[in-house]
Amino acid sequence: MQEKDKKDWQPKILAILCNWCSYAGADLAGVSRIQYPPNIRVLRVPCSGRVDPMFIMKSLQNGFDGVLVSGCHPGDCHYLSGNYNARRKFAVLKPLLEYIGIETERVQFSWVSAGEGERFAEVVTKVTNDIRKVGPAKRLVKGVVSW
Amino acid sequence: MVKALREEVKRLFEEKKVDLVIGWGKGSLPMTATPIFINKAEDAERLIWDETCSNNLAVYLTKDKRQLVKTDQKIGIVVKGCDGRSLVLYAVENQIQRENLVIIGVPCAGVIDKKKVLKHIEGKEVLSASFEADRMTVEGRGFKTEIAKCDVLSDSCLNCNHPNAPVFDVFIGEPRKSDSVEDVYPDVEAFEKLDSEARWKTMVEAYSKCIRCYACRNVCPSCYCTECFVDQNDPQWIGKSPEITDTLIFHLGRNLHVAGRCVECGACERACPADIDLLKLNRKISKEILERFNFTAGLDINEKPALASFCENEKQDFIMG
Amino acid sequence: MIKIEKSNFGTFIQNLSADYSLFAPVGEGQQSAFREVKNAEQINTHIQITQNSPKTVFLPQTEVLFEFSGDDIQSEEKPAKPMFFWGVRSCDAKSLNLLDKVMGQSKQRPDDPAFQDPYWKARFDDAIILTLACNEPASTCFCNWTGGSPFSKDAGDLWAVETETAYLVEPLSEKGEAFVKGLSGYDTASEKDKQSIAKLKKQAESYLQPAVDAETLKEKLPQTWEDPLWDEVSAKCVNCSACAFICPTCYCFDIQDEGKKDKGKRIRTWDCCMFPIFTKEASGHNPRSLARERVRQRVMHKFRYFWEIYGESLCTGCGRCVRVCPVNLDIREVAKQLLEADSAA
Repeated sequence: MQEKDKKDWQPKILAILCNWCSYAGADLAGVSRIQYPPNIRVLRVPCSGRVDPMFIMKSLQNGFDGVLVSGCHPGDCHYLSGNYNARRKFAVLKPLLEYIGIETERVQFSWVSAGEGERFAEVVTKVTNDIRKVGPAKRLVKGVVSW
Repeated sequence: MVKALREEVKRLFEEKKVDLVIGWGKGSLPMTATPIFINKAEDAERLIWDETCSNNLAVYLTKDKRQLVKTDQKIGIVVKGCDGRSLVLYAVENQIQRENLVIIGVPCAGVIDKKKVLKHIEGKEVLSASFEADRMTVEGRGFKTEIAKCDVLSDSCLNCNHPNAPVFDVFIGEPRKSDSVEDVYPDVEAFEKLDSEARWKTMVEAYSKCIRCYACRNVCPSCYCTECFVDQNDPQWIGKSPEITDTLIFHLGRNLHVAGRCVECGACERACPADIDLLKLNRKISKEILERFNFTAGLDINEKPALASFCENEKQDFIMG
Repeated sequence: MIKIEKSNFGTFIQNLSADYSLFAPVGEGQQSAFREVKNAEQINTHIQITQNSPKTVFLPQTEVLFEFSGDDIQSEEKPAKPMFFWGVRSCDAKSLNLLDKVMGQSKQRPDDPAFQDPYWKARFDDAIILTLACNEPASTCFCNWTGGSPFSKDAGDLWAVETETAYLVEPLSEKGEAFVKGLSGYDTASEKDKQSIAKLKKQAESYLQPAVDAETLKEKLPQTWEDPLWDEVSAKCVNCSACAFICPTCYCFDIQDEGKKDKGKRIRTWDCCMFPIFTKEASGHNPRSLARERVRQRVMHKFRYFWEIYGESLCTGCGRCVRVCPVNLDIREVAKQLLEADSAA
């Protein structure tokens, strides 16, 4: 990677948000005019339990520099237990990706409620800064793989 | 031991307790056993049980591979510890009718990995092999070598803590006492200590060898989906070529699908024609699940797999505070 | 017949690699394959048979047919140097000829280039194949079943035997003649050398097990179509494609587009008749939905269908599938069982 490219580079982050909490939280951040980095692309899903680990791996493969998955706080799931099931999946996925050598910053999880516009902005800021630090994704990206 | 097994199977047929028995028979190559399906008492003579019986026979009870097995038949199946754990998994996941199954347990001291033997003798061809308690002798044209059995045991057997089937109807001989009392993961811990770049490099090097033959998936007792995600093409999740990211995502996807369900029998690794140590990822997941959820797959017929259940107040340190 | 002393082998290989892309057996055991080499040290000269056949070079597991961007289409250039294959076993040399019948020539429309595969032809037509006699066939070898033999000269452009001290090389085709003419400074093989060839040949043949006649099998196969024996022989098959992917003559492939929007590449990648999805139709119907039908297809294709079209068996008896099968489904046993079965006509 050239120095020049590094300066211009902006991380591209996929934010997979659950319809009932985090998506509404993002909406609240928007209507409240809270500033957060414009690096995320939002994918709305009915529930964090809908998130197949495959979505996350495919996003990285197709060139996203990072993925944020956010759902309702434990106990608040619209479908009662979707986020608990999601939590178990993530508990396995995250260490597994780290184990094979994917930077731990690239895949992150959070709980953001519909009322936490402020928090949503904080989460996105943190994730963006984290990914900025580790730089452009190179490892699991199709056609780019290197170390 | 073999004699007792044959006697027992003969008795099961004679008492009409089984219509079909799945076991291991002598293979066509040295150091190789092969799955056999027998349907009459006299064929019990074809059964063997030794350190070459490495296939996990539970796989033949899954829907797609039930070629000779009819659903209303009484089936006998010879199982090692890990095969027995697969049966527990099937019972938990409603894949078998327990009452139609006669589980014949055999005590297992580990099976050998042929590929390790071949590496030991630098690719020379083995024409015959014989086994003693703790060593094996291999012979070929112009050489005869003794190898300590522990050097050629399948990776899955090295840290195995479950030598006997957890659930069985008959047991041949005495159940074997396990060498250790808890599941340990020294191999995983060693790999975790490497830095991220080294881990990634190792992975890419290992999985670049994959030819996408799906032998690992197809011998895996926990992989019994009628349509695998890798075969789906609308949407197509994974490219068909052995391109490294597609290959890695296939393997990771498979690992995640068998997370909390993998019994670590090592069938995948022994089946791999490209010699990839596939179990490395499965064992990482098993370790994680044991540490977090205190769960080991295939031991308790009344316990749901780890990823099919949850506790409300469990540790969530991996989620942003 | 010329004689290349082993002491000169290094120089011979060095010279070869200057004029050709030189491929030779490399690596041990499960990692062994034909790869490009630059010098003799890289070559594994004592290997019985490589795990991966030379097919992987001529018909790679995946190749890019062309790249596209909008209406613009770019395909790869022809390789600059022709390939030279050192140390191909007779079964593998034959397998390349069999593949050429399908990919390179076309029996039905021999003069129509539209029926010839340009990617195959670009690699195969100029390539020189040196068939190295098998001094020590493996216990899994059964080339004698399908008309081959360890010292067969039926396929390849050059033929060579490894003796104690030298490689003895003779041409088999016009390409081979031209190659040998281009060599200078090598002795011709003596009468004594020829005697040692005869001795090695006899010894090699003694290692093989008695042959089963593939032609009888071919005659028998049509009658076995409904035989319940297929249930038995296929019961243990787990439907992976290990056998097909290491087979030197399996050529089925899938063509896929990879890319985004109007930019990407069209790739050709191996496929396998053992996969249920191989024959699955858009309606959801699968004419070969059972393992029995798929195993039968594979055996029939190797020992019957190909024969009916091209006049010989598609199996060359290299024994690779016997070695890699994770459940020890041995094609030799299957053939024997089929021959013994008393299927009704």
